[in-house]
Amino acid sequence: MKPRHNPVWGWLYHLTAITVVGSGLLILVFMVSTSLRAPGSIPPPVLQLIPDNPSLAAYARAFSDLPLARYLFNSAVIVGIAVPLTLVFASWAALAIAGMGRRGWRIWLYALVALMIFPASAFWLARYVLFAQIGFIDTVWPLVAPALIGANPLYVLILAWAFKRIPRELWESARLDGAGTLVLWSEVGLPLVRPALGAVAVLAFAQFWGDFISPALYLRTDTRMTAPIALQALIQYDRTQWPVLTATAVVLTLPSVLLFLWVQRTAWNPGKIYERVEA
Amino acid sequence: MFSRTLLIPFGVGALALIVLPAIVTVILAFTLYDAQTAPIWRGNQNFIDLFVIDPIFPIAARNTLIFTAVATPLRVLGALGLALLLSPERRGARLYRSGAFLPAIVPEIAYALAWVWVLNPVYGPLNQILGAFGLPQPAWLGSPDTALSGLVLAGAFQLGEGMVILIAGLKAVPNDLYRAASVDGAGRWARFWRITLPLIQPWLAVLLIRDLLWAAQGTFTLTRVMTLGGPYYSTLLMPLYIYEEAFDRFRFGLGAAATVLLVMAAAAATVLAFIALRGWGFDDEA
Repeated sequence: MKPRHNPVWGWLYHLTAITVVGSGLLILVFMVSTSLRAPGSIPPPVLQLIPDNPSLAAYARAFSDLPLARYLFNSAVIVGIAVPLTLVFASWAALAIAGMGRRGWRIWLYALVALMIFPASAFWLARYVLFAQIGFIDTVWPLVAPALIGANPLYVLILAWAFKRIPRELWESARLDGAGTLVLWSEVGLPLVRPALGAVAVLAFAQFWGDFISPALYLRTDTRMTAPIALQALIQYDRTQWPVLTATAVVLTLPSVLLFLWVQRTAWNPGKIYERVEA
Repeated sequence: MFSRTLLIPFGVGALALIVLPAIVTVILAFTLYDAQTAPIWRGNQNFIDLFVIDPIFPIAARNTLIFTAVATPLRVLGALGLALLLSPERRGARLYRSGAFLPAIVPEIAYALAWVWVLNPVYGPLNQILGAFGLPQPAWLGSPDTALSGLVLAGAFQLGEGMVILIAGLKAVPNDLYRAASVDGAGRWARFWRITLPLIQPWLAVLLIRDLLWAAQGTFTLTRVMTLGGPYYSTLLMPLYIYEEAFDRFRFGLGAAATVLLVMAAAAATVLAFIALRGWGFDDEA
């Protein structure tokens, strides 16, 4: 579909894109703008994107009312373990599935979709019973465990699609050179699915980093809690203290955004999750 | 082509984290269990209780049905619109895509909290904007008439992941097809219906199922942070209902029974979606 030469179309495109994308981003704008108000101040009666006397006092309050720094560190440990493991296990499974014949590929696609059908609420209690049996309660392992299934069957699917686009000849020539499965995975496969890997990394990070159900159910000790629990505690403590609540939300959101910006420079942007590969 | 041993971690995880808990849940659905004492078998009494004795379960089921019926098409069509708008490689497209994706990675609890603020009847930005245009300013989460719409609104703006999946689908359509169709005199509309739509079906199918399952089962954080099911149970959706039955009222058997019904309904909807979209090349080389 080649663009028309009439410049009106170009303007119309930008106008539509800015309106649509901008309205989605407004939620973040409102979050930041509210967090810059002084804690306890009366909300303005009309819409104000930049508050009168903007201050960072709400952020200071967020860190002093709660051991937020400690919680952020705990969250960082969990994603530090879980996200790399997710990438390894998801790409292993995806590679094996992508390499199967037509029948195996088909069966696994249905299996992955079937696994997506079971809701998290089905697991809460049953997983608790299971984790308690093997002494995992109050450790990081229940929080990290979803890495085994690649955080989400959908991410295995995304990677399997990407692997499947690599021409067979590439694998075969590497195999003739004596490469084993692990070398094929790390030297041939992974470099060619970098965009998909980047996408899964960002989405898996967001999932583990934002998880607030698992820590609430499987952790006990206060000093082991994660950052989303801090926000939950603040909400329960005072639902009307909007500057402090939104400041905490901004702090919680920032790492995901930074990771996304970095991945977007190095591996993936939302315009592609695979590259065209020529044999 | 590759050693099946690569599937071991995933297989172990799927068994331990999904299949085994699913079996445990099915068994618990037929028991009286408070997590303190041993479960007591009570046959299908839990299921009867849900429909006959419990006054809240039918409300939660009805709300979930409505929410799913409204939110799923909104999210799929929204993602499709975004993908169609932003997939061509035009100036600024990369930047727009990043901007459109960004809301998808906001931690859900922060996202839900931000929406509570946006929907605040008096100070919330949405009503301030509506007011500036002289439009009516609903009470949103404060009124049983509009609270569910507020949740739908929050869900309808989470389009980033869906957009990424559909852009991948659009990029996989060979350009030659469009060129050949243009030569044959096919207009934009015909190319969309005859080429684009059939060829992105596998992605569209996955997205539809994903959003269907999200609306039916993935709303716990949203409801827990935004409304706690109120006012007057108007936003009580199944995941929150199940959580409250189990962890607030310690009726794990009843919660498990509700979970079983929810999974069965979701599975039925998924199969229906599949049949309705029969002939989609879901399993084909994409």
